[in-house]
Amino acid sequence: MTTAPGQPARPVLACGEVRTCLLPSFQALDGRAAAQLLRLRADEHVRVSERPNLYALSPEVLTGVDCRLPTSNGAKVRAVGTVATRVALTEGRLLQSTAYFSAPAAGPDTRRPWGHYLVRPGVVEPFGKLPEQATAEGVLRGAGRGELDLGTIAESLLTRLLRHPLLDRKVPFKSRRTHLRWTARRIPAGERAELTRFTLAEDGLRTVELRLPEDTPVSAAAGLCEDLALHDWLLTTVVHMLDSSRLAAADGRAAVQALRPAVDHLLHLWMPHAQVDRSLVHLWEVLEREPGFTRQWQNLVQRIRDQLAVQAIPLLHQALSTS
Amino acid sequence: MLIFAASDKGGTGRSVTSANLAYHRALAGDDVCYLDFDFGSPTASAVFDVADAREAAEDRGLHSYLIGEVGEPERIDIWARTEHQVLRDPPPGCGRLVLMPGDVSGGEFATTGDHVRLCVDLLMKLYYEFDLVVVDLSAGRSYAVDMVLEATAQTEMREITARWLVFHRWTRQHVAAAASLVFGERGIVAGGVDRGHEEEALRGAIRFVRAAVPDPESPLWSQVSPTQSAWMRKTDSDLKQLASNHGIGYSQVLGSIPLEPVLQWREQLITDEDVLDSQIANMETWRALSGLAARLTDDKYWEQA
Amino acid sequence: MTEAVFRETTAELRTQSVPLAHLSLELGHLYMEDFEAGPERLREHFAEVRLWVDAARASAARRTGGKRPRISTCFLIDDYFTRFSTPAELVPLVLKEAEEAGLVIDYLARESGCAVADRIELAESVRHRLVESPPPGSYGSRPSVSQTGWLANGQRTPSTKRAALGEVRGWQPPQETAARNHSVFMDVELWSEKDGRRLWSCPFLAAVWQLARLGLLRHLGEPVLVPRPWTGEDFPTDWDRLPPLLQLNPRAAAFSAYRTCTLMPNRFLAVEDAVRLILDQTEVDSGALRQVAERSAREGLAVPAAVAQRATYVFYEEPVNATAPEGP
Repeated sequence: MTTAPGQPARPVLACGEVRTCLLPSFQALDGRAAAQLLRLRADEHVRVSERPNLYALSPEVLTGVDCRLPTSNGAKVRAVGTVATRVALTEGRLLQSTAYFSAPAAGPDTRRPWGHYLVRPGVVEPFGKLPEQATAEGVLRGAGRGELDLGTIAESLLTRLLRHPLLDRKVPFKSRRTHLRWTARRIPAGERAELTRFTLAEDGLRTVELRLPEDTPVSAAAGLCEDLALHDWLLTTVVHMLDSSRLAAADGRAAVQALRPAVDHLLHLWMPHAQVDRSLVHLWEVLEREPGFTRQWQNLVQRIRDQLAVQAIPLLHQALSTS
Repeated sequence: MLIFAASDKGGTGRSVTSANLAYHRALAGDDVCYLDFDFGSPTASAVFDVADAREAAEDRGLHSYLIGEVGEPERIDIWARTEHQVLRDPPPGCGRLVLMPGDVSGGEFATTGDHVRLCVDLLMKLYYEFDLVVVDLSAGRSYAVDMVLEATAQTEMREITARWLVFHRWTRQHVAAAASLVFGERGIVAGGVDRGHEEEALRGAIRFVRAAVPDPESPLWSQVSPTQSAWMRKTDSDLKQLASNHGIGYSQVLGSIPLEPVLQWREQLITDEDVLDSQIANMETWRALSGLAARLTDDKYWEQA
Repeated sequence: MTEAVFRETTAELRTQSVPLAHLSLELGHLYMEDFEAGPERLREHFAEVRLWVDAARASAARRTGGKRPRISTCFLIDDYFTRFSTPAELVPLVLKEAEEAGLVIDYLARESGCAVADRIELAESVRHRLVESPPPGSYGSRPSVSQTGWLANGQRTPSTKRAALGEVRGWQPPQETAARNHSVFMDVELWSEKDGRRLWSCPFLAAVWQLARLGLLRHLGEPVLVPRPWTGEDFPTDWDRLPPLLQLNPRAAAFSAYRTCTLMPNRFLAVEDAVRLILDQTEVDSGALRQVAERSAREGLAVPAAVAQRATYVFYEEPVNATAPEGP
């Protein structure tokens, strides 16, 4: 190998998966509790930020892997290294865990001592040449049995956190998790980052394809994708809430009951790119133009407010007639 | 809410009936998840008519999850994946209906701390997501029963409403066996108390479902001789007495499902099409299922006797 | 890019650096049985160690290219597994015997300081940093070591429990992940629980000790196990009142160093092999790691990338008249 020890080969691809869910706690957590929950390591800080929204980010923890990479063309490529995982909590309400790794274009043909991989956190090295395109497609499609499974890694950290005694395990409403898988092909430093595709698939799965300049840290891409996943989760969840409230059929009280949690817990969470790295903020514009994330959100919010207003009219009548 | 479906023996129609209950709740707008914990002989995929989808998910099912081989058990969206014509077009306003299949090559296994922890994690996760989670358990005093008793006794699950349906056929042996499964030595109540459940609460969370009950008043039997008819009535009332003696009398029963050839033979979901158009299934069965489904979450039927 | 106008201190992280010598040389590790064997035992020990100290110094000097290397010496006393004697009685004795052998002990440490130092739970923090070396086939679903309390260098013999009617398999050998043709499988107990209290194992505390000597431990970005100067006063009569790390020699080079060299009797071979196994699967603070790498490279003494490679040992034969009972 030509790369000097300690000098990882330049990564050409980064892949990740974000799982987003509602924190199972009746009350949203404040900053201090959030820091306590996200303290995955006793000796490392949890980043807590209060402006423009309450946002806590855990230190990264690593999971060792030695397995095949998922590939779209069936190519069998063994890879060894560590996958980085982190957890973010937004407004003490939405919990997200991301597992991600970077891969260089090529790696040694044999497994190195483990210490070699541990000093390259979040890097997974292929045996031989990395089939870049096939791996990126494979990750987006999802891992087959025995293949590097980012979803499982992200999920197990989430599960571990949900056992935390700090949580009362009372959800204010039912909601499903969403999965967002992403890949970022590296482009030369200095070029502009691009969001080339955002796909809404079935079963709560979303995929994002990025082109990321070499000088942008992969954690910035992870942060962007967490932000996209969070807002997509909000849209998905509120749409489902409006669907199942069966506005037309249901009596007023049922509709109010179904929509109330949105007002109590969700409507204030919309804040695109609040915590996104400045060099990637412009990628939001693409989604604002087409399909228009914020446009849809405003529409949903308006519908909920109108519904609640309409439901309030009979109460008003009642109040007036009895006074 | 979690619903555990248990039975004293095989052949009670537990799986097919509980699957029908899940279906009815989804039709009524709930998001429902059905877990096949019948490790010895997972059949739910046949009931929901998703054989192909299940085959694709072989080795990624609940069994593989609980022994730690896969991180997440496979989910099958019934509306999207079923090969059943009617199920493929669910009515507007219905909720999600998701099946977590078992593994055909799974088999029973002894429970250890690991299985229980994974089971708790899974049930909690589904509880946060679904309005109703139906868990179909292997018949008798099985590992599956042990595991969920143990799981629901853990502190993190204490606050969660979990209810038990015990299915039994309407015969002398089945009535006695069902009572013994619940109240007997090493039964659900005793086993649950051993694992940290509070006895009164656990008893209050168990109801019986009488399956394949022939109704002497049904038009089906209108042609029988007066002697036969009198015998049927007598036997039925004897059985009621017997059930009551065993502590599983009327107040402990959540519902009865009539003897229904479609359930017995086809072991599939009964759709409104089966009742209204092709009329192969009886309206009474549909009504019984629908009523039972509604009572699952109606606290009035679950008040302490 | 312009500087950000708005900043939040809780959202920024910083790792403080620590002063670093070239070599941290450990002159010994004192357990109760060594103490019970009397001062002759210590004398023998230091006499033997003295020879190897010279060799270690020469080796360090070769690395620095003739420039005088910065070397600090340290000595560790076990007060964790067994409590014996008092600092007031013991420490002067150790210092006297060392001095007579022509050795200077720069830093004195207590073993329990590797578990908890200044109310910071070092061992617990290191436990959170274990990242198991994945045997082939690990795709992300394995339970973490932290649940079992054991760390291996490969795959254990599979347990015999199986599904009902599952395939019956005979005994399967364990497998070392980095095996060359044949395995040398090792499984290390990191801690045990007794009366609800966690007792860290000797190799685990020794691994923490190595990380401290390599300048790779931090707590919330701050250095830990910072040496407290000794001003010549009497040593306390209670171990708990002795600072976890005491600087005895005011002119000593820095406690932490790019590399460590440990001199000890050969009965510790297995323990230290276990230490390497632990170090090999510990992800250290990345800020600290980078600081050490950059500074050592600037001095032309670049450290090996893998942390375990930075620790060297001399295992010497114990004097015949002082054979010790088994292990600590």
